[in-house]
Amino acid sequence: MNALFEFLLKLLGPRPGKYQGVMGVFYYVDDATGAVQALRQSGHRHLAVISPVPHHEIEHAMEQGPSIVRWVTFIGGVLGATGGMALCVYSVLSYPLVTGGKELVSIPPFIIPTYESMILVGGLANLIGMLALARLPHIKMKAPYDPRFTEDRIGIWVPCKGDDAKRVEAMLKGHGAEEAVVHA
Amino acid sequence: MSAATVEEAVHGVAEVQVAEEPMPSYVTQKSLNDDILKMISIPGKIWWAIFLLDLAVLATGLIALRNQIVLGLGVSGYTRPVMWAAYITNFVFWVGIAHCGTLVSAVLFLFRSHFRRAVYRVAEAMTVFGVLTAGIFPLLHTGRPWFGYWLIAYPNQRQLWPNFRSPLEWDVFAVTTYLTISSIFFLVGLIPDVAAARDRARHPAMKLLYTLVSFGWQGTNTNWKHFYGAYLFFAAMATPLVFSVHSVVSWDFAMAQNPGWHSTLFAPYFVAGAIFSGVALVINLLIIIRKGFNLKHIVTIDHMEKLAKLVLLTSTMVGYSYLTEFFMAWYGPSKFERDLFWWRATGHYWWAFWIMFTCNVIIPLSLWFKPVRRNMTVLFIIALFVNVGMWFERFVIIITSLARSFNPSTWVYYKMSWTEAAITAGAFAWFGMFFLIFVRVLPAFSIAEIKETVQFPYRDPKKKGRH
Repeated sequence: MNALFEFLLKLLGPRPGKYQGVMGVFYYVDDATGAVQALRQSGHRHLAVISPVPHHEIEHAMEQGPSIVRWVTFIGGVLGATGGMALCVYSVLSYPLVTGGKELVSIPPFIIPTYESMILVGGLANLIGMLALARLPHIKMKAPYDPRFTEDRIGIWVPCKGDDAKRVEAMLKGHGAEEAVVHA
Repeated sequence: MSAATVEEAVHGVAEVQVAEEPMPSYVTQKSLNDDILKMISIPGKIWWAIFLLDLAVLATGLIALRNQIVLGLGVSGYTRPVMWAAYITNFVFWVGIAHCGTLVSAVLFLFRSHFRRAVYRVAEAMTVFGVLTAGIFPLLHTGRPWFGYWLIAYPNQRQLWPNFRSPLEWDVFAVTTYLTISSIFFLVGLIPDVAAARDRARHPAMKLLYTLVSFGWQGTNTNWKHFYGAYLFFAAMATPLVFSVHSVVSWDFAMAQNPGWHSTLFAPYFVAGAIFSGVALVINLLIIIRKGFNLKHIVTIDHMEKLAKLVLLTSTMVGYSYLTEFFMAWYGPSKFERDLFWWRATGHYWWAFWIMFTCNVIIPLSLWFKPVRRNMTVLFIIALFVNVGMWFERFVIIITSLARSFNPSTWVYYKMSWTEAAITAGAFAWFGMFFLIFVRVLPAFSIAEIKETVQFPYRDPKKKGRH
């Protein structure tokens, strides 16, 4: 049974890629922040920082903009509201059955399914947007992973090769990295 | 998520630093993982004893459920015109229970109440399991649950559509949306914590489960940026949803003209009651968990006291609503309304009314006193009373208005059948089963969010700070 689970894990879990770069492991937040600033100043713009929680100093150093997932959510919400109202209106017009002499298209009661549909589709769009933008699920890992990154260590992955990798390794160690491993 | 992270999700950079309660200095990032993930282990004898007892009650409920489905609604205590009875009482009760999770995780998140971090995962789990329990009852109440899909709007040959003007159809939309959104909110929030569990899992089956649920999360800056960007919007959408769902449930009653139901008070009254019962159940569950798993440093007395204050606040709102109902009956023009409310308090169901009033209004008054709020044994007992009271609130609203409507020739006395009682007990066991499995399989506290209150290591003490 365990062999089956292990097979499924290999099949469905993220596969390690072929990495070229340097992974620095930091304990101190200010060290990691300094390393990110120095690396970006030296032209390494495609860094990945892996951490158990987001650190604002590091995010500032990475100059990250806001997530655009909000727009995906907004579009989902608009589509949901439109679809919900359209469904209500279509249902009464496609099978007209006047009850009590009341209007077929009764806006006040239709607002409730419209509102709920807006939230439902907006929420689903938010989920899909987040997964797509955050590149989840990870089919293939883009940087070497260490379980300590969900505990208390911060990893900085710098894609590079050759002599550049040696310079980056020295730079990471110079900024207080506990480890700097070159992946050739 | 910290206040600064909220700002960041909105503006791209952190702008506001809000004071938060730090964790004790002996709690480190690693020890936090240890403390929370130790809950995920092979259960001991006590857990198994509780679980087996729970399954025994559930089995009794399932036997009754089999009777109910095979023999039809005749085996319930439905007595015309009391055709909404224990099942709808249970439905409203469990939807109400479900409300607390989204309140704690979404509403308190938007209001930046940091104490939610230590309690919201339990509340969210309670929400999802509460809605799963609530959903059983309207289906049972239809009498032919195998045709439950008729409630959903789908294209069909005869162009038949549900009646979108009916509050019952609004309920279908509201409850299914609530189940979907609260489940997504719960599962998305779990991703970083399940990744932490994955990294420690030894058994291949558990590792596989956590790998799948964590979506292969690595914790990269891109992961975090979009995760928190989306989380804010989940909270923003879940917040109006909390208020809308129980308002819609209340309109199942308020849109009818029965005495005791036809009131504009119902939506806020029901929402307050839902939060009241939900928070009380969260208190019960948290007191057991923090004691059972020795997590008193994570869920502190201060956290529990804040929840107790929330119970006190909603208790006063519920009490105010009860009194307003009586005032409106006395002051208003309807003699049927006056008769009903007098009968509620003094008639056949006086005992149910007074259980409700005592548990929901009088007993919670003790929470005005700080020593009571900070005594976990007393708080646990008060929260239990609140839940008993809130179950009876729904019973009183539903049964009395139907049993004593306009025409005296239709006045009846409804008595719950053993089938209904067993299914009611089974529903608690059904909820308990999910919850017992949850605390042993998934991280019951948000590691990532609680970690934000831990002192982070800085080489240069001048730069030392928290989020």
